[in-house]
Amino acid sequence: MLIFSVFKTLTDQQVIVELKNDLSITGVLKSVDQFLNIRLDNIKVLDEARHPHMMAVKNCFIRGSVVRYVQLPAEHVDTQLLEDATRREAQNPNKR
Amino acid sequence: MSFFGFEETDLEKEKQQFLHGQLRSSDTDDLTVYTWGEESYDGLGDALEEGGDERNNETFGSTGTVGKDFDFSAATLSGSENLQPKPSQPYNDQPLKSYASRPSESQVTRPPAASHVSLESIWDDNSPFSLRMNGAGRTSSPSSGRVQSPSTLQQPIGHGMKQQPGTRTLQEIEAEMRAAAERTREHTLQRQLLQQQQHRREEEEYRRQQQQQQQEMELELLQRQRFLQQQQEQQLQLQRLQQQQILQQREQQHHRTPPPRMLPVSQSPRFLEHQRLLLLQQQQEQQELLRLQQLEEQLRIEDLERQMRAQQISHHGGSHLDHDRHPSGPTLADMEALQLLQQQQQREILRGSQSPTKHSAHDNGLYMQQPNIQLQQRLLSELANTEFLREMQGLSQADQEVLRAEAMRKILETEKMEEKRRRKAAKIAHMSRYNDIMTQSDKDFITRIQVSQLVTQDPYADDFYAQVYGAIMRSRMGLGSDDERVLKFGTSGGIGLGVPQRGANRRPNAMQRMQQQVERIVSNARRREEEKGLHSLHSLQGALGKTSGRSYKAAPRQLLQVDSNSSPTLSHAQTHGHISHQNDNSSGDDAAAEAAKLGREALGEQHNAETSDLVRKDPLSRKEVLVTLEALYDLVLQLEQLKRNQAPPEDEQATAEWQNEFKSVLDQTWVLLKVMVPLATSDPHPFISILSIAKGKKLLPRLTRHLDNQRMLTLLTLLIACFSQLDVIRNAPFLDNPEDTPDHSEVERQTQAFLSGVIQSILPIIAKGSLRLISGLLGLLLDRNDVVAIAKTRPGLALLTLLLTRVEVIKESLHNATNIEELPSPEDAEQWQLMFDHLFQLLTPHFPFLFPSSRTIDAAAGHIKPGMDAPDQPVWQFLAALALHAVTEQHQILVTLLRDKVLDNVVSAKKGWVADEEERHAKLANVDLFLHALGLDSSQIAM
Repeated sequence: MLIFSVFKTLTDQQVIVELKNDLSITGVLKSVDQFLNIRLDNIKVLDEARHPHMMAVKNCFIRGSVVRYVQLPAEHVDTQLLEDATRREAQNPNKR
Repeated sequence: MSFFGFEETDLEKEKQQFLHGQLRSSDTDDLTVYTWGEESYDGLGDALEEGGDERNNETFGSTGTVGKDFDFSAATLSGSENLQPKPSQPYNDQPLKSYASRPSESQVTRPPAASHVSLESIWDDNSPFSLRMNGAGRTSSPSSGRVQSPSTLQQPIGHGMKQQPGTRTLQEIEAEMRAAAERTREHTLQRQLLQQQQHRREEEEYRRQQQQQQQEMELELLQRQRFLQQQQEQQLQLQRLQQQQILQQREQQHHRTPPPRMLPVSQSPRFLEHQRLLLLQQQQEQQELLRLQQLEEQLRIEDLERQMRAQQISHHGGSHLDHDRHPSGPTLADMEALQLLQQQQQREILRGSQSPTKHSAHDNGLYMQQPNIQLQQRLLSELANTEFLREMQGLSQADQEVLRAEAMRKILETEKMEEKRRRKAAKIAHMSRYNDIMTQSDKDFITRIQVSQLVTQDPYADDFYAQVYGAIMRSRMGLGSDDERVLKFGTSGGIGLGVPQRGANRRPNAMQRMQQQVERIVSNARRREEEKGLHSLHSLQGALGKTSGRSYKAAPRQLLQVDSNSSPTLSHAQTHGHISHQNDNSSGDDAAAEAAKLGREALGEQHNAETSDLVRKDPLSRKEVLVTLEALYDLVLQLEQLKRNQAPPEDEQATAEWQNEFKSVLDQTWVLLKVMVPLATSDPHPFISILSIAKGKKLLPRLTRHLDNQRMLTLLTLLIACFSQLDVIRNAPFLDNPEDTPDHSEVERQTQAFLSGVIQSILPIIAKGSLRLISGLLGLLLDRNDVVAIAKTRPGLALLTLLLTRVEVIKESLHNATNIEELPSPEDAEQWQLMFDHLFQLLTPHFPFLFPSSRTIDAAAGHIKPGMDAPDQPVWQFLAALALHAVTEQHQILVTLLRDKVLDNVVSAKKGWVADEEERHAKLANVDLFLHALGLDSSQIAM
């Protein structure tokens, strides 16, 4: 739930989603659910020359399981709070 | 039997005779041509002229090549059934003529003619159809003066031969034979021109032949003329009316179907007149075309037409009279008139279904030229249109161009928009196929599944990050944190909603729906629970094996299964904590009171404790420090959580419980912080070790918030006693290295963390400290640490400045303080002065080297690096604070030692040896900080 909670605070922010198929999509995070499925708006693929078929795509829904990394905007993440939240999560072993 | 005394002839008998050679032997003696090859053959056959056949075609008409220029239009146009039988009518006239041409025929042979007249009269009513038919328009020979007896079609060959044995020539015989042949084609429709030419030729033959029988001829002619004239009189009126059409059509016809060989034969005055009319007509047409150029409306064309018609009628009045005066039968004009009348009527029928343009074309009689004229008309109308537009707008060419471009642009734009709209509509239509593919209950079902997994026992804790982050954001934005972003459902659970959405309008709706969904789930679950209890099915549950629970639960499967309780490091830390706890026990509860004492006394006591039961240990390893820190963090989080969940004050029991819990957690924290570990246990002290990591420095302010004053004082005392053990003091020389080394940046980072963490957390204690406390702390600092080394660091300078400033504040309050209790005792003041003098004395040789700018490698080389004013600033501040406490002699020492430094700054500022205005200002501000403390100013320094 922690990462879900973090992503909830990042809606309407610009993120870069790196997929397991080496596709990197940057776009505005519109919503995320508990499976970390991601809905992006106004997207742009980073290496457009390699993925010309993505040029026309304007928004997308990404299944959470195909995501490798999500690059977050550093200024919108409270690192200390994130650490605390992590500690809290670690405190409650039953919540896993 | 001879009827009028003529020799009786029987055709059949004659034929028989002819076939058996009897005819020749009996009464045709002079026809030697038939007897060649016999004894009596006189050889005349050899004398026959065999050549000169090349002009035969001209004489007899060619049957070989037939032109393609027949006038079929009349035939095709006469499509209506009442006209069908009429083409045969002209040939009904023929018997009369043939009889008349017979030389032996007397006046008594009129009955057939009379009967013919009566027959004619049937047709010869005033109807235009009959007129047309009588005209026999197929005889298109222009030499119409002699066409009154065109043929002998019905005359049998045998007849002629028998009647005129002596006078007949070979030509005559041939003509007769041809006439007979002609008769066989009588009823075919395609023969007209050729036939009529032959008729004409036959006429000529007969005319030559009839020179002997002039009287009969003339009689017949007179009769015929009379009849035809009468006929013509009847037609005259109608012809006048149709004159316009006739003339036009004539021209057309001449263009279309010039009869073969017409021109050489027909150079008659009538033809010339016709040509003249033709020319006139053409001229008129040209005029019309010219006028057409200025016209584009149908009405006006018709108008003109009307005018032209009137013109032409008046124009041709004379010529028409000529026609009438002519003694011969129906003239060519008349025939044409009839034919064209028919066409005209035909057109009248068609007119109803034709377009106005075609209509006008017909009216103009330009039937064959119609496509051409139509094209011209269209072009002209277009031209007129543009002309009209130009006139209408009354604008210059340039303006027009602009307007046109604008119009084009607008059109294109509109088209584009339309295209776009259509594409959008198509897309929407395409997608709308999937509209309502899910019913509302389907959606609710899915929402329930999703929501059911979001419901937790502790929505706040599960959504901790979003909750706290939201709270921080709200407080930062200055919004009230009144609304909890958690949906709670009784005591059973709730859902964390995270950060409130900005500008989402459908959010509240969705929220409401979700709340309803969740409430339903919760109530359903509760009811099921009750049912379970009722039927005691609980005991049977899982009897057949467990179903896999919520495999779709959000958290991913854990790959590393680490038992946190069996962790060696943690147990190590715990044992460590245990030991320290033992130590803590040894000093007992009086430790707090002990810490409350002033620095020197505490120091003395700790010295005593050191001697008694000091267990020397190695300093904490980095790993231990990290583990301890994590434990501390957990405790701090627990404390914070407890603070948040503080029981309401009215519930005393809960408050007491809460206080007990809070206290126990706080005690754990205090123990874990290792402040009470004897001072000399290790170097660095365990507490200082904890502070050596940035994480520890950051933790301190959060932790000290919960500590009471006594513990804070103890902590402060320990910190100052072990100040030189701090990493930021030990590693401070790295800051004098060039900036881009990793050591420099690391120390810089730690220093920043220390200043913002540790100094900030001790600041409130010092700010409230009495003069006695400050004197004690300063004494402790001087006693336990190398104050020169400390003074050369930023944290050290910050601490010293803090202490000096606090004393300055106390001194200030001395003058206007009313509260006696606040006033420091004279002993304390004396103590302070002692400590200060000691400090000043210690630092005196090092004043110039307190400046970071003076400690750099460049400074050693003799020149000061630019841009060091910001790092120097705390030093100037410290010196200013020092100067405030200093006496006059100390002032002089300060000025003497710092003279060079001050002058350096002032000169470089005033002589413009600076990068920019900002730097100059910074230099002067720094100097002034110090000079103002001495009662001086940089402006007083003369260059």
